Amino acid sequence: MATAKIQHAAKGASNAAYINNPILAMFNYFRDELDEHHDRRERVIKASRDITALSKKMIFTLQRARNLLAPLPASLDKEYQTRHSQIQALFSSIAPDLQDLNAHRYARQISGGIQEYIEALSFHHYLLTGSLIPLASVRDNVRNLIEITPADYILGIFDLVGEIMRFGITMIATRGDVSKLLRDIRELRMQFEALDTSVGGGGLLGKEVSKKMGVMQTCVEKVETAVCGFIVRGSERPKGWVPELAIERAVGGGRGGNFDEDGET
Amino acid sequence: MSESFASVDPEIFAKVQEQIEKDSEIKEKIREALRNLDKEVRKINSTLSRIHIVPAEHVLKLTDSVEDGFKQVAVEIGGLVEIVKDYPYYKYNGLWTRDLQNTAFLVLLHGWLKRSYGTAESGNSLLSIDEVGAVLGVPVNLKTEDRFHLTIEEYLHAVISLVDELTRLTTNAVTQRDFLRPLMINRFVKDIHSSFQVLNLKNDSLRRRSDSLKYSVKKVEDVSYDLMLRGLVPDGTEDAKQSEDVKEVPEVILEGKKE
Repeated sequence: MATAKIQHAAKGASNAAYINNPILAMFNYFRDELDEHHDRRERVIKASRDITALSKKMIFTLQRARNLLAPLPASLDKEYQTRHSQIQALFSSIAPDLQDLNAHRYARQISGGIQEYIEALSFHHYLLTGSLIPLASVRDNVRNLIEITPADYILGIFDLVGEIMRFGITMIATRGDVSKLLRDIRELRMQFEALDTSVGGGGLLGKEVSKKMGVMQTCVEKVETAVCGFIVRGSERPKGWVPELAIERAVGGGRGGNFDEDGET
Repeated sequence: MSESFASVDPEIFAKVQEQIEKDSEIKEKIREALRNLDKEVRKINSTLSRIHIVPAEHVLKLTDSVEDGFKQVAVEIGGLVEIVKDYPYYKYNGLWTRDLQNTAFLVLLHGWLKRSYGTAESGNSLLSIDEVGAVLGVPVNLKTEDRFHLTIEEYLHAVISLVDELTRLTTNAVTQRDFLRPLMINRFVKDIHSSFQVLNLKNDSLRRRSDSLKYSVKKVEDVSYDLMLRGLVPDGTEDAKQSEDVKEVPEVILEGKKE
Protein backbone atom coordinates (compact mmCIF):
# COMPACT_ATOMS: atom_id res chain seq x y z
CA MET A 1 0.00 0.00 0.00
CA ALA A 2 2.69 2.40 1.05
CA THR A 3 4.70 1.93 -2.09
CA ALA A 4 1.60 2.36 -4.18
CA LYS A 5 0.92 5.68 -2.53
CA ILE A 6 4.46 6.87 -3.03
CA GLN A 7 4.31 5.97 -6.66
CA HIS A 8 1.03 7.74 -7.13
CA ALA A 9 2.44 10.81 -5.45
CA ALA A 10 5.56 10.66 -7.56
CA LYS A 11 3.40 10.50 -10.64
CA GLY A 12 1.48 13.58 -9.64
CA ALA A 13 4.63 15.50 -8.89
CA SER A 14 6.21 14.90 -12.24
CA ASN A 15 3.50 16.13 -14.51
CA ALA A 16 6.03 17.72 -16.80
CA ALA A 17 7.74 14.41 -17.31
CA TYR A 18 4.35 12.93 -17.98
CA ILE A 19 3.81 15.13 -20.99
CA ASN A 20 7.30 14.52 -22.29
CA ASN A 21 6.93 10.80 -21.91
CA PRO A 22 4.37 9.50 -24.41
CA ILE A 23 4.71 5.97 -23.14
CA LEU A 24 3.48 6.84 -19.70
CA ALA A 25 -0.20 6.99 -20.60
CA MET A 26 -0.13 3.41 -21.79
CA PHE A 27 1.69 2.32 -18.67
CA ASN A 28 -0.86 3.99 -16.46
CA TYR A 29 -3.48 1.91 -18.18
CA PHE A 30 -1.34 -1.18 -17.65
CA ARG A 31 -1.04 -0.39 -13.99
CA ASP A 32 -4.79 -0.35 -13.54
CA GLU A 33 -5.18 -3.56 -15.47
CA LEU A 34 -2.40 -5.34 -13.61
CA ASP A 35 -3.67 -4.12 -10.25
CA GLU A 36 -7.06 -5.52 -11.06
CA HIS A 37 -5.50 -8.83 -11.98
CA HIS A 38 -3.34 -8.99 -8.85
CA ASP A 39 -6.26 -8.08 -6.60
CA ARG A 40 -8.41 -10.73 -8.15
CA ARG A 41 -5.65 -13.25 -7.82
CA GLU A 42 -5.18 -12.38 -4.15
CA ARG A 43 -8.89 -12.77 -3.51
CA VAL A 44 -8.88 -16.19 -5.12
CA ILE A 45 -5.83 -17.29 -3.16
CA LYS A 46 -7.34 -16.10 0.07
CA ALA A 47 -10.67 -17.80 -0.60
CA SER A 48 -8.85 -20.98 -1.53
CA ARG A 49 -6.89 -20.90 1.74
CA ASP A 50 -10.01 -20.25 3.77
CA ILE A 51 -11.85 -23.04 2.02
CA THR A 52 -8.93 -25.37 2.69
CA ALA A 53 -8.86 -24.46 6.37
CA LEU A 54 -12.60 -24.91 6.79
CA SER A 55 -12.54 -28.19 4.92
CA LYS A 56 -9.81 -29.46 7.20
CA LYS A 57 -11.94 -28.57 10.19
CA MET A 58 -14.86 -30.42 8.63
CA ILE A 59 -12.65 -33.44 8.24
CA PHE A 60 -11.50 -33.28 11.87
CA THR A 61 -15.11 -33.16 12.92
CA LEU A 62 -15.89 -36.19 10.79
CA GLN A 63 -12.92 -38.11 12.16
CA ARG A 64 -14.50 -37.82 15.59
CA ALA A 65 -17.43 -39.91 14.43
CA ARG A 66 -17.24 -43.52 15.56
CA ASN A 67 -19.67 -45.30 13.33
CA LEU A 68 -19.67 -46.02 9.66
CA LEU A 69 -23.01 -46.04 7.85
CA ALA A 70 -24.74 -44.10 10.60
CA PRO A 71 -25.93 -40.52 10.79
CA LEU A 72 -23.52 -38.16 12.52
CA PRO A 73 -24.18 -37.38 16.18
CA ALA A 74 -26.12 -34.13 16.44
CA SER A 75 -23.25 -32.05 17.77
CA LEU A 76 -20.85 -33.19 15.05
CA ASP A 77 -23.49 -32.70 12.40
CA LYS A 78 -24.06 -29.15 13.55
CA GLU A 79 -20.36 -28.36 13.39
CA TYR A 80 -20.13 -29.91 9.97
CA GLN A 81 -23.09 -27.99 8.61
CA THR A 82 -21.85 -24.67 9.96
CA ARG A 83 -18.50 -25.04 8.23
CA HIS A 84 -20.19 -26.26 5.13
CA SER A 85 -22.37 -23.22 4.77
CA GLN A 86 -19.33 -21.00 5.41
CA ILE A 87 -17.56 -22.70 2.54
CA GLN A 88 -20.56 -22.33 0.29
CA ALA A 89 -20.61 -18.63 1.10
CA LEU A 90 -16.93 -18.40 0.16
CA PHE A 91 -17.56 -20.13 -3.12
CA SER A 92 -20.34 -17.76 -4.03
CA SER A 93 -18.23 -14.76 -3.04
CA ILE A 94 -15.38 -15.84 -5.28
CA ALA A 95 -17.49 -17.09 -8.18
CA PRO A 96 -17.56 -13.77 -10.06
CA ASP A 97 -13.75 -13.79 -10.14
CA LEU A 98 -13.70 -17.19 -11.74
CA GLN A 99 -15.88 -16.73 -14.78
CA ASP A 100 -15.13 -16.96 -18.49
CA LEU A 101 -11.50 -16.27 -19.26
CA ASN A 102 -10.62 -16.19 -15.59
CA ALA A 103 -11.86 -19.67 -14.82
CA HIS A 104 -8.58 -21.10 -15.98
CA ARG A 105 -6.45 -18.10 -15.27
CA TYR A 106 -6.72 -18.73 -11.55
CA ALA A 107 -7.32 -22.47 -11.73
CA ARG A 108 -4.02 -23.17 -10.04
CA GLN A 109 -4.88 -20.81 -7.19
CA ILE A 110 -8.33 -22.20 -6.42
CA SER A 111 -7.64 -25.84 -7.15
CA GLY A 112 -6.17 -26.55 -3.68
CA GLY A 113 -9.32 -25.34 -1.98
CA ILE A 114 -11.57 -27.27 -4.31
CA GLN A 115 -9.65 -30.48 -3.76
CA GLU A 116 -9.72 -30.16 -0.01
CA TYR A 117 -13.42 -29.41 -0.13
CA ILE A 118 -14.11 -32.48 -2.26
CA GLU A 119 -12.10 -34.51 0.22
CA ALA A 120 -14.30 -33.34 3.08
CA LEU A 121 -17.50 -33.72 1.12
CA SER A 122 -16.69 -37.21 -0.10
CA PHE A 123 -15.58 -38.31 3.36
CA HIS A 124 -18.88 -37.14 4.80
CA HIS A 125 -20.75 -38.93 2.08
CA TYR A 126 -18.75 -42.08 2.67
CA LEU A 127 -19.32 -42.15 6.41
CA LEU A 128 -23.05 -41.76 5.96
CA THR A 129 -23.66 -44.02 3.00
CA GLY A 130 -20.58 -46.15 2.56
CA SER A 131 -20.34 -45.13 -1.05
CA LEU A 132 -18.41 -42.72 -3.19
CA ILE A 133 -19.97 -39.35 -3.83
CA PRO A 134 -20.79 -38.84 -7.51
CA LEU A 135 -19.31 -35.83 -9.31
CA ALA A 136 -22.81 -34.49 -10.02
CA SER A 137 -23.52 -34.30 -6.33
CA VAL A 138 -20.27 -32.39 -5.69
CA ARG A 139 -21.35 -29.92 -8.34
CA ASP A 140 -24.71 -29.55 -6.65
CA ASN A 141 -22.96 -28.74 -3.42
CA VAL A 142 -21.18 -25.76 -4.92
CA ARG A 143 -24.46 -24.91 -6.61
CA ASN A 144 -22.73 -24.97 -9.96
CA LEU A 145 -21.22 -21.57 -9.24
CA ILE A 146 -17.76 -22.86 -9.88
CA GLU A 147 -16.62 -25.32 -12.45
CA ILE A 148 -15.62 -28.64 -10.95
CA THR A 149 -13.77 -30.70 -13.51
CA PRO A 150 -13.44 -34.48 -13.42
CA ALA A 151 -9.77 -33.84 -12.71
CA ASP A 152 -10.55 -31.79 -9.58
CA TYR A 153 -12.88 -34.54 -8.50
CA ILE A 154 -10.37 -37.33 -8.94
CA LEU A 155 -7.65 -35.37 -7.16
CA GLY A 156 -10.00 -34.80 -4.23
CA ILE A 157 -10.91 -38.49 -4.10
CA PHE A 158 -7.23 -39.38 -3.94
CA ASP A 159 -7.11 -37.63 -0.59
CA LEU A 160 -10.27 -39.37 0.55
CA VAL A 161 -8.24 -42.58 0.76
CA GLY A 162 -6.06 -40.94 3.40
CA GLU A 163 -9.08 -39.97 5.46
CA ILE A 164 -10.59 -43.43 5.22
CA MET A 165 -7.22 -44.75 6.33
CA ARG A 166 -7.18 -42.59 9.44
CA PHE A 167 -10.73 -43.50 10.21
CA GLY A 168 -9.92 -47.17 9.68
CA ILE A 169 -6.88 -47.14 11.94
CA THR A 170 -8.94 -45.58 14.71
CA MET A 171 -11.62 -48.18 14.13
CA ILE A 172 -9.17 -51.03 14.43
CA ALA A 173 -7.91 -49.60 17.66
CA THR A 174 -11.36 -49.20 19.13
CA ARG A 175 -13.69 -51.78 17.71
CA GLY A 176 -12.35 -53.85 14.98
CA ASP A 177 -14.07 -54.68 11.77
CA VAL A 178 -12.64 -52.66 8.94
CA SER A 179 -13.17 -55.19 6.19
CA LYS A 180 -15.53 -52.91 4.29
CA LEU A 181 -13.12 -50.00 4.60
CA LEU A 182 -10.23 -52.04 3.40
CA ARG A 183 -12.19 -53.43 0.50
CA ASP A 184 -13.32 -50.00 -0.54
CA ILE A 185 -9.95 -48.34 -0.52
CA ARG A 186 -8.45 -51.26 -2.34
CA GLU A 187 -11.05 -50.89 -5.01
CA LEU A 188 -10.26 -47.20 -5.26
CA ARG A 189 -6.59 -48.01 -5.42
CA MET A 190 -7.16 -50.33 -8.33
CA GLN A 191 -9.10 -47.65 -10.16
CA PHE A 192 -6.43 -45.08 -9.49
CA GLU A 193 -3.65 -47.35 -10.54
CA ALA A 194 -5.34 -47.92 -13.85
CA LEU A 195 -4.70 -44.27 -14.66
CA ASP A 196 -1.74 -43.95 -16.95
CA THR A 197 0.09 -40.71 -16.25
CA SER A 198 3.18 -41.43 -18.27
CA VAL A 199 1.73 -40.43 -21.66
CA GLY A 200 3.87 -37.86 -23.39
CA GLY A 201 5.66 -36.77 -20.26
CA GLY A 202 2.35 -36.02 -18.61
CA GLY A 203 0.83 -32.60 -18.23
CA LEU A 204 0.17 -30.71 -15.06
CA LEU A 205 -2.66 -33.10 -14.27
CA GLY A 206 -0.49 -36.10 -14.99
CA LYS A 207 2.16 -34.86 -12.59
CA GLU A 208 -0.33 -34.14 -9.84
CA VAL A 209 -1.91 -37.55 -10.25
CA SER A 210 1.40 -39.36 -10.02
CA LYS A 211 2.35 -37.37 -6.95
CA LYS A 212 -0.85 -38.31 -5.18
CA MET A 213 -0.60 -41.89 -6.35
CA GLY A 214 2.31 -42.67 -4.07
CA VAL A 215 0.64 -41.16 -1.02
CA MET A 216 -2.54 -43.06 -1.75
CA GLN A 217 -0.69 -46.36 -2.08
CA THR A 218 1.05 -45.81 1.24
CA CYS A 219 -2.32 -45.16 2.87
CA VAL A 220 -3.78 -48.41 1.62
CA GLU A 221 -0.70 -50.26 2.77
CA LYS A 222 -0.92 -48.72 6.20
CA VAL A 223 -4.42 -50.08 6.66
CA GLU A 224 -3.33 -53.46 5.33
CA THR A 225 -0.42 -53.53 7.76
CA ALA A 226 -2.63 -52.46 10.64
CA VAL A 227 -5.12 -55.21 9.87
CA CYS A 228 -2.30 -57.68 9.58
CA GLY A 229 -0.84 -56.61 12.89
CA PHE A 230 -4.20 -56.86 14.50
CA ILE A 231 -4.72 -60.37 13.26
CA VAL A 232 -1.26 -61.51 14.23
CA ARG A 233 -1.55 -60.19 17.72
CA GLY A 234 -5.21 -61.10 17.84
CA SER A 235 -5.94 -58.69 20.60
CA GLU A 236 -9.32 -57.55 21.74
CA ARG A 237 -11.14 -58.56 18.66
CA PRO A 238 -14.91 -58.46 18.75
CA LYS A 239 -16.58 -61.78 18.90
CA GLY A 240 -18.35 -61.69 15.61
CA TRP A 241 -15.07 -61.43 13.82
CA VAL A 242 -13.25 -64.40 15.22
CA PRO A 243 -14.44 -67.09 12.83
CA GLU A 244 -13.46 -65.07 9.78
CA LEU A 245 -10.13 -64.53 11.34
CA ALA A 246 -9.58 -68.21 11.94
CA ILE A 247 -10.13 -68.96 8.27
CA GLU A 248 -7.84 -66.18 7.34
CA ARG A 249 -4.99 -67.41 9.43
CA ALA A 250 -5.28 -70.84 7.97
CA VAL A 251 -5.30 -69.59 4.38
CA GLY A 252 -3.38 -66.40 4.31
CA GLY A 253 -0.76 -67.20 6.89
CA GLY A 254 -1.35 -63.84 8.51
CA ARG A 255 -0.31 -61.82 5.50
CA GLY A 256 -2.44 -58.72 5.54
CA GLY A 257 -2.05 -58.47 1.79
CA ASN A 258 -4.62 -61.02 0.76
CA PHE A 259 -6.64 -61.88 3.77
CA ASP A 260 -9.58 -59.88 2.65
CA GLU A 261 -10.26 -61.14 -0.81
CA ASP A 262 -9.89 -64.72 0.31
CA GLY A 263 -12.29 -64.24 3.13
CA GLU A 264 -15.00 -62.50 1.21
CA THR A 265 -15.20 -63.95 -2.22
CA MET B 1 -21.11 -55.37 5.65
CA SER B 2 -20.41 -56.97 2.35
CA GLU B 3 -22.07 -54.57 -0.09
CA SER B 4 -19.41 -53.47 -2.51
CA PHE B 5 -18.23 -49.96 -3.24
CA ALA B 6 -20.97 -49.63 -5.79
CA SER B 7 -20.66 -46.02 -6.74
CA VAL B 8 -17.12 -45.93 -8.02
CA ASP B 9 -17.95 -44.58 -11.40
CA PRO B 10 -15.55 -46.00 -13.95
CA GLU B 11 -16.75 -43.33 -16.37
CA ILE B 12 -15.09 -40.63 -14.31
CA PHE B 13 -11.78 -42.41 -14.31
CA ALA B 14 -12.06 -42.99 -18.01
CA LYS B 15 -12.78 -39.31 -18.48
CA VAL B 16 -9.76 -38.25 -16.47
CA GLN B 17 -7.60 -40.73 -18.34
CA GLU B 18 -8.90 -39.32 -21.57
CA GLN B 19 -8.12 -35.83 -20.37
CA ILE B 20 -4.56 -36.76 -19.45
CA GLU B 21 -4.05 -38.27 -22.88
CA LYS B 22 -5.67 -35.41 -24.71
CA ASP B 23 -3.57 -32.99 -22.72
CA SER B 24 -0.36 -34.50 -23.93
CA GLU B 25 -1.67 -34.78 -27.46
CA ILE B 26 -2.51 -31.10 -27.63
CA LYS B 27 0.76 -30.19 -26.04
CA GLU B 28 2.57 -32.10 -28.74
CA LYS B 29 0.62 -30.21 -31.40
CA ILE B 30 1.35 -26.90 -29.71
CA ARG B 31 5.04 -27.69 -29.57
CA GLU B 32 4.97 -28.55 -33.23
CA ALA B 33 3.34 -25.21 -34.05
CA LEU B 34 5.85 -23.42 -31.85
CA ARG B 35 8.71 -25.08 -33.69
CA ASN B 36 7.37 -23.66 -36.93
CA LEU B 37 6.97 -20.25 -35.38
CA ASP B 38 10.44 -20.46 -33.94
CA LYS B 39 11.92 -21.07 -37.38
CA GLU B 40 10.48 -17.81 -38.69
CA VAL B 41 11.38 -15.93 -35.55
CA ARG B 42 14.95 -17.12 -35.78
CA LYS B 43 15.28 -15.87 -39.34
CA ILE B 44 14.08 -12.42 -38.37
CA ASN B 45 16.22 -12.44 -35.29
CA SER B 46 19.38 -13.24 -37.18
CA THR B 47 18.65 -10.58 -39.80
CA LEU B 48 17.85 -7.90 -37.25
CA SER B 49 20.86 -8.74 -35.13
CA ARG B 50 22.95 -7.40 -38.01
CA ILE B 51 22.00 -3.91 -36.86
CA HIS B 52 24.91 -4.22 -34.48
CA ILE B 53 27.44 -4.58 -37.24
CA VAL B 54 26.22 -2.50 -40.17
CA PRO B 55 26.44 1.27 -40.60
CA ALA B 56 23.36 3.25 -39.65
CA GLU B 57 22.24 3.91 -43.20
CA HIS B 58 21.86 0.21 -43.87
CA VAL B 59 19.53 -0.44 -40.98
CA LEU B 60 16.38 0.47 -42.86
CA LYS B 61 17.29 -2.04 -45.56
CA LEU B 62 17.42 -4.68 -42.88
CA THR B 63 14.05 -3.72 -41.47
CA ASP B 64 12.55 -3.79 -44.95
CA SER B 65 13.93 -7.21 -45.60
CA VAL B 66 12.10 -8.78 -42.67
CA GLU B 67 8.65 -7.39 -43.47
CA ASP B 68 7.67 -10.60 -45.19
CA GLY B 69 9.04 -12.60 -42.32
CA PHE B 70 6.59 -10.92 -39.98
CA LYS B 71 3.75 -11.82 -42.28
CA GLN B 72 4.87 -15.42 -42.08
CA VAL B 73 5.07 -15.12 -38.30
CA ALA B 74 1.45 -13.99 -38.22
CA VAL B 75 0.54 -17.03 -40.32
CA GLU B 76 2.32 -19.38 -37.92
CA ILE B 77 0.62 -17.79 -34.95
CA GLY B 78 -2.66 -18.25 -36.77
CA GLY B 79 -1.82 -21.95 -36.96
CA LEU B 80 -1.22 -22.05 -33.23
CA VAL B 81 -4.48 -20.23 -32.55
CA GLU B 82 -6.27 -22.81 -34.68
CA ILE B 83 -4.96 -25.63 -32.47
CA VAL B 84 -5.85 -24.06 -29.14
CA LYS B 85 -8.96 -22.10 -29.96
CA ASP B 86 -11.30 -24.73 -28.50
CA TYR B 87 -9.56 -24.79 -25.14
CA PRO B 88 -9.45 -22.25 -22.32
CA TYR B 89 -6.72 -19.75 -23.12
CA TYR B 90 -5.00 -19.99 -19.77
CA LYS B 91 -4.93 -23.76 -19.83
CA TYR B 92 -1.96 -23.97 -22.16
CA ASN B 93 -0.67 -20.43 -22.43
CA GLY B 94 2.36 -21.30 -20.32
CA LEU B 95 3.62 -23.29 -23.28
CA TRP B 96 3.84 -20.41 -25.69
CA THR B 97 4.16 -17.35 -23.52
CA ARG B 98 7.95 -17.36 -23.89
CA ASP B 99 7.78 -17.62 -27.65
CA LEU B 100 5.14 -14.95 -27.83
CA GLN B 101 7.25 -12.61 -25.70
CA ASN B 102 10.19 -13.22 -27.95
CA THR B 103 8.14 -12.59 -31.07
CA ALA B 104 6.63 -9.45 -29.60
CA PHE B 105 10.14 -8.26 -28.80
CA LEU B 106 11.15 -8.57 -32.44
CA VAL B 107 8.06 -6.65 -33.49
CA LEU B 108 8.98 -3.91 -31.03
CA LEU B 109 12.58 -3.84 -32.18
CA HIS B 110 11.53 -3.71 -35.79
CA GLY B 111 9.13 -0.87 -35.06
CA TRP B 112 11.72 1.01 -33.05
CA LEU B 113 14.34 0.74 -35.77
CA LYS B 114 11.92 1.87 -38.46
CA ARG B 115 10.84 4.90 -36.48
CA SER B 116 14.24 5.82 -35.13
CA TYR B 117 16.27 5.38 -38.30
CA GLY B 118 13.52 6.49 -40.61
CA THR B 119 11.41 9.58 -40.53
CA ALA B 120 12.11 12.19 -37.90
CA GLU B 121 9.37 10.78 -35.75
CA SER B 122 11.60 10.65 -32.73
CA GLY B 123 8.74 11.35 -30.33
CA ASN B 124 7.59 7.85 -29.62
CA SER B 125 9.44 4.89 -30.99
CA LEU B 126 7.68 2.31 -28.88
CA LEU B 127 4.95 0.39 -30.63
CA SER B 128 1.90 0.21 -28.41
CA ILE B 129 0.47 -3.11 -27.32
CA ASP B 130 -2.30 -2.71 -29.89
CA GLU B 131 0.21 -2.13 -32.67
CA VAL B 132 2.12 -5.25 -31.68
CA GLY B 133 -1.12 -7.20 -31.59
CA ALA B 134 -1.94 -5.96 -35.06
CA VAL B 135 1.38 -7.16 -36.48
CA LEU B 136 0.97 -10.57 -34.86
CA GLY B 137 -2.66 -10.76 -35.91
CA VAL B 138 -3.99 -11.39 -32.42
CA PRO B 139 -6.19 -9.37 -30.05
CA VAL B 140 -4.61 -7.90 -26.93
CA ASN B 141 -5.50 -7.90 -23.26
CA LEU B 142 -8.86 -9.62 -23.41
CA LYS B 143 -10.73 -9.39 -20.16
CA THR B 144 -13.63 -11.74 -20.41
CA GLU B 145 -13.58 -13.33 -23.81
CA ASP B 146 -11.75 -16.62 -23.63
CA ARG B 147 -9.66 -16.38 -26.76
CA PHE B 148 -6.02 -16.29 -27.80
CA HIS B 149 -4.46 -12.91 -27.12
CA LEU B 150 -1.31 -11.03 -26.22
CA THR B 151 -1.28 -10.27 -22.51
CA ILE B 152 0.04 -7.13 -20.89
CA GLU B 153 2.71 -9.13 -19.10
CA GLU B 154 3.95 -10.60 -22.34
CA TYR B 155 4.12 -7.17 -23.88
CA LEU B 156 6.02 -5.77 -20.90
CA HIS B 157 8.51 -8.62 -21.04
CA ALA B 158 9.05 -7.77 -24.68
CA VAL B 159 9.62 -4.12 -23.79
CA ILE B 160 12.34 -5.09 -21.33
CA SER B 161 13.97 -7.28 -23.97
CA LEU B 162 13.88 -4.30 -26.29
CA VAL B 163 15.69 -2.18 -23.74
CA ASP B 164 18.33 -4.87 -23.33
CA GLU B 165 18.83 -5.02 -27.05
CA LEU B 166 19.05 -1.24 -27.42
CA THR B 167 21.56 -1.09 -24.60
CA ARG B 168 23.75 -3.36 -26.63
CA LEU B 169 23.09 -1.26 -29.71
CA THR B 170 24.32 1.83 -27.89
CA THR B 171 27.87 0.56 -27.70
CA ASN B 172 27.80 -0.89 -31.18
CA ALA B 173 26.38 2.28 -32.69
CA VAL B 174 29.35 4.15 -31.30
CA THR B 175 31.64 1.66 -32.98
CA GLN B 176 29.83 2.46 -36.23
CA ARG B 177 30.45 6.17 -35.60
CA ASP B 178 26.72 6.64 -35.19
CA PHE B 179 26.69 9.10 -32.31
CA LEU B 180 23.06 10.00 -32.70
CA ARG B 181 21.71 6.62 -31.66
CA PRO B 182 23.11 6.62 -28.12
CA LEU B 183 21.29 9.87 -27.45
CA MET B 184 18.02 8.58 -28.81
CA ILE B 185 18.39 5.37 -26.88
CA ASN B 186 19.32 7.29 -23.77
CA ARG B 187 16.10 9.20 -23.85
CA PHE B 188 14.03 6.21 -24.83
CA VAL B 189 15.40 3.95 -22.11
CA LYS B 190 14.81 6.65 -19.52
CA ASP B 191 11.19 6.97 -20.63
CA ILE B 192 10.71 3.24 -20.36
CA HIS B 193 12.38 3.15 -16.98
CA SER B 194 10.21 5.90 -15.56
CA SER B 195 7.13 4.31 -17.09
CA PHE B 196 7.86 1.04 -15.33
CA GLN B 197 7.98 2.98 -12.09
CA VAL B 198 4.23 3.55 -12.23
CA LEU B 199 3.48 -0.17 -12.24
CA ASN B 200 2.78 -1.98 -8.99
CA LEU B 201 4.59 -5.16 -9.81
CA LYS B 202 4.37 -8.24 -7.68
CA ASN B 203 7.45 -10.21 -6.87
CA ASP B 204 7.45 -12.14 -10.11
CA SER B 205 9.65 -12.56 -13.14
CA LEU B 206 8.48 -9.26 -14.58
CA ARG B 207 9.50 -7.49 -11.42
CA ARG B 208 12.93 -9.06 -11.40
CA ARG B 209 13.51 -8.22 -15.02
CA SER B 210 12.26 -4.67 -14.65
CA ASP B 211 14.73 -4.22 -11.82
CA SER B 212 17.46 -4.63 -14.38
CA LEU B 213 16.26 -1.57 -16.31
CA LYS B 214 18.22 0.79 -14.10
CA TYR B 215 21.47 -0.88 -15.11
CA SER B 216 20.56 -0.36 -18.74
CA VAL B 217 19.81 3.29 -18.03
CA LYS B 218 23.18 3.69 -16.37
CA LYS B 219 25.07 1.96 -19.13
CA VAL B 220 23.47 4.07 -21.84
CA GLU B 221 23.97 7.22 -19.78
CA ASP B 222 27.66 6.46 -19.40
CA VAL B 223 28.09 6.15 -23.14
CA SER B 224 26.16 9.36 -23.82
CA TYR B 225 28.20 11.15 -21.19
CA ASP B 226 31.46 10.04 -22.68
CA LEU B 227 30.35 11.15 -26.12
CA MET B 228 29.30 14.56 -24.88
CA LEU B 229 32.40 15.03 -22.83
CA ARG B 230 34.48 14.60 -25.92
CA GLY B 231 32.26 16.85 -27.99
CA LEU B 232 31.31 14.03 -30.31
CA VAL B 233 27.66 15.05 -30.30
CA PRO B 234 26.38 18.44 -31.35
CA ASP B 235 24.96 20.55 -28.53
CA GLY B 236 24.42 17.81 -26.03
CA THR B 237 21.13 16.83 -24.55
CA GLU B 238 18.47 19.12 -25.95
CA ASP B 239 15.73 16.90 -27.23
CA ALA B 240 14.16 19.47 -29.51
CA LYS B 241 17.40 20.15 -31.28
CA GLN B 242 18.18 16.52 -31.36
CA SER B 243 15.33 15.67 -33.65
CA GLU B 244 16.28 18.29 -36.21
CA ASP B 245 20.03 18.62 -36.13
CA VAL B 246 20.76 15.13 -35.41
CA LYS B 247 19.41 13.78 -38.67
CA GLU B 248 22.30 15.24 -40.60
CA VAL B 249 25.01 14.44 -38.15
CA PRO B 250 25.59 10.76 -38.76
CA GLU B 251 25.85 11.22 -42.49
CA VAL B 252 28.55 13.80 -42.05
CA ILE B 253 30.41 11.61 -39.68
CA LEU B 254 29.99 8.57 -41.81
CA GLU B 255 31.19 10.35 -44.89
CA GLY B 256 34.09 11.58 -42.91
CA LYS B 257 34.90 8.06 -42.04
CA LYS B 258 34.80 6.82 -45.59
CA GLU B 259 37.18 9.41 -46.82
